[in-house]
Amino acid sequence: MSDSHTAIETVDREGRCVIDVSALPTSVYGSRSPVWWGNTLLMLTESMSVGLCVAAYFYVRQNFASWPPPNPNAQPPLFHPTPDLPLPSAELGVMLASCALMYWIDRAARALDATRAKLGLWTVFAIVLVLIVCRFYEFRAVHFRWNDNAYASIVWTLLGLHLTYLLVAAGEFFILAAWLCCASLDEHHAHDINLTGIYWYWTVAVWALLYAVIYLGARML
Amino acid sequence: MTGTGVTLASVSIDLQVHDTYFVVAHFHYVLIGGAVFPLFGAFYYWFPKWTGRLLDSRLGWINVALTFVGFHLTFWPMHALGLGGMTRRRYTYPAETNWGSLNALATVGAFLMGLGVLTFILNVLWSRKRGRLAGGNPWDADTLEWATTSPPPAWGFDQIPTCYGRAPMWENPPDAATVTGLTLRKRQVLCTTLLDAAPDHRYDLAGESIWPLLTAVSVAGMLLLGGIFNPWWAVIFLGVMALALFGWFWTSTAARNEPNVFRRGISQPKGDSDER
Repeated sequence: MSDSHTAIETVDREGRCVIDVSALPTSVYGSRSPVWWGNTLLMLTESMSVGLCVAAYFYVRQNFASWPPPNPNAQPPLFHPTPDLPLPSAELGVMLASCALMYWIDRAARALDATRAKLGLWTVFAIVLVLIVCRFYEFRAVHFRWNDNAYASIVWTLLGLHLTYLLVAAGEFFILAAWLCCASLDEHHAHDINLTGIYWYWTVAVWALLYAVIYLGARML
Repeated sequence: MTGTGVTLASVSIDLQVHDTYFVVAHFHYVLIGGAVFPLFGAFYYWFPKWTGRLLDSRLGWINVALTFVGFHLTFWPMHALGLGGMTRRRYTYPAETNWGSLNALATVGAFLMGLGVLTFILNVLWSRKRGRLAGGNPWDADTLEWATTSPPPAWGFDQIPTCYGRAPMWENPPDAATVTGLTLRKRQVLCTTLLDAAPDHRYDLAGESIWPLLTAVSVAGMLLLGGIFNPWWAVIFLGVMALALFGWFWTSTAARNEPNVFRRGISQPKGDSDER
């Protein structure tokens, strides 16, 4: 923080001791900001939900002789119906790459470069839309309906839980990009973009975990 | 409710007193002694800050005496009744059980407590209009709410006070500094550092808005309509809530840049009119 952005102890016109805070900034990054705490605690509680669902996945594993359980109703019957790997792997790669894009957007927003931030936000919004569409093909690639057995239920729950995070991210990217189309980029919204970025990194990290559990777990457990 | 569980969670005690009057006696003892008495205390303590007038002291003593005696008279005999075998949720019993006298005692106690609460209500009604004027800090208390007038203005303080310790009303020097430099043109508050509470930055709050209410209504719609009648309501109101959040985001920024939503109807000082 530079000296011009500090509180000054001074004396007002009546000679009373005052602390003049008019030079303090109105938008700050990181743990100094109340909104940062709101965002962080949201991620904390949602991480708890993810953790509980993952724990449920491993608990359900105990009740089955083979994992995933065979699907005798399929035509032809599937004896080891592992969920298909290509699509979620591609998703993981796209998400990790989008983190670099998000970092680039964050840098542009901090520099108050509205044009680059807007371009980046629309791009990442389009990427999330594609990911959401892919998610529906992933449900199909589980080879079970959600109510066929406990394995199917917990896998659908994990995929669906992460789908809600994607939907929230899509909403955030959309509203910020739309805002930049209608108004100029100020420090408050640069901060909003920064927080959305943190949320997106978290969403990607959760997907990396769920990818390991759902797709590698079905092959290794 | 934790307090009610400590004793009764012990299996050996629970085996003896389960579903007896002891349970009723015990949890009322804990709840009234642990929560209701402090609530009354808090009411006497902050009533002057709230209304500008003190509650009457003599009526207060009558109130506490009646409630205290009535409380013990009501619930103490019920412990003994429970240990003596009287089950809970019963409205009558044979005379041979010899529970009559202790139950009569509890009834007298309940009426005494009722009189105590009645005294309290009369005290509030009377003191609201005719009680002694309190002034800013009638108790010589140490915390900051007593630094402003009673009742306080809608904006709390004319000058934002500073703290020189945990008991600012006792520790602050007479010429303690106040904070200046926040704008009056919008709802701006001062954020401090987490541990040292040094001024850190100014934080703009949203202005008046209908969107938070719509968000809350959609949450209620999700849980009540979706939880009881049809799960699709949850999906529908999730969409409504998303729209409400978008509207909230969009308009709060507009309100943040809107001048003078704060202290409406109050004349602004001349000169550097957008600061206090």
